[in-house]
Amino acid sequence: MPLPRSFKKALWVFHIATGSCNGCDIEIVAALTPRYDVERFGIMLTGTPRHADVLLVTGPVTKPMLPRLKRIYDQTPDPKAVVVVGGCGCTGGVFYESYNVVGPVDEVIPVDVYVPGCPSRPEAIIDGVVKAVTKLETLERAGVSG
Amino acid sequence: MNGISSGFGAWNPIAWALLFIGILATGFVFRLFGKKGYKRGTGQTKVFLSGNEEPEDSTALHVRGDHLYWGMVEGLSGYYRRIRALHTGVLNDYGAWIIGVLALVFVILALVR
Repeated sequence: MPLPRSFKKALWVFHIATGSCNGCDIEIVAALTPRYDVERFGIMLTGTPRHADVLLVTGPVTKPMLPRLKRIYDQTPDPKAVVVVGGCGCTGGVFYESYNVVGPVDEVIPVDVYVPGCPSRPEAIIDGVVKAVTKLETLERAGVSG
Repeated sequence: MNGISSGFGAWNPIAWALLFIGILATGFVFRLFGKKGYKRGTGQTKVFLSGNEEPEDSTALHVRGDHLYWGMVEGLSGYYRRIRALHTGVLNDYGAWIIGVLALVFVILALVR
């Protein structure tokens, strides 16, 4: 089933920080600034996961954020891709096996693209989102409804 | 088309009807661009509240006007408790208060004079 035309024009991304130190979040903001300007590619942040194509998750998953992350993942329409930004979200990082951390993001929701780094550079974040587009195109060919 | 035309403007119900039909048709076209694959009965059709669960009692989310000055109400809770008790909502009570206060004012004026 082909993706809607509006989807092909712009990729809407929802950003959620599940316990990040805000370093990766600042780099995501940097990707939106005129120096990188991801909106020229049609990539833009949206205020609700219900409008999103991609979930951009930063930080390890803390215990209070566990149900919220699951809920937000459920609220994102299909097809969707999950991009984890930063070493903490990918592996737990310096918070690995911490008492208040559930674990890396892929222990809670399925992850498609890992963008390591502490913090990840904006170029790497953009590359990760582009890889997520590839995954969404694969889903399109597989016939996952949009 | 029948209508009214004056020196200040024109009114034509058919033109208005056509305009509204055009607006509705445009909205419908925009709606067609939306995603159709939402899975009913899942989280995809639930309200997004920053990841929080939607409470059973929706009034728990309402932000009332008095939330802006709750600190003052809390600080003067003794005063507000007594004042609220007087607000019975019964018109006879309010009428009695008016008459009573007016009587008090007249008594004070009589004493002052």
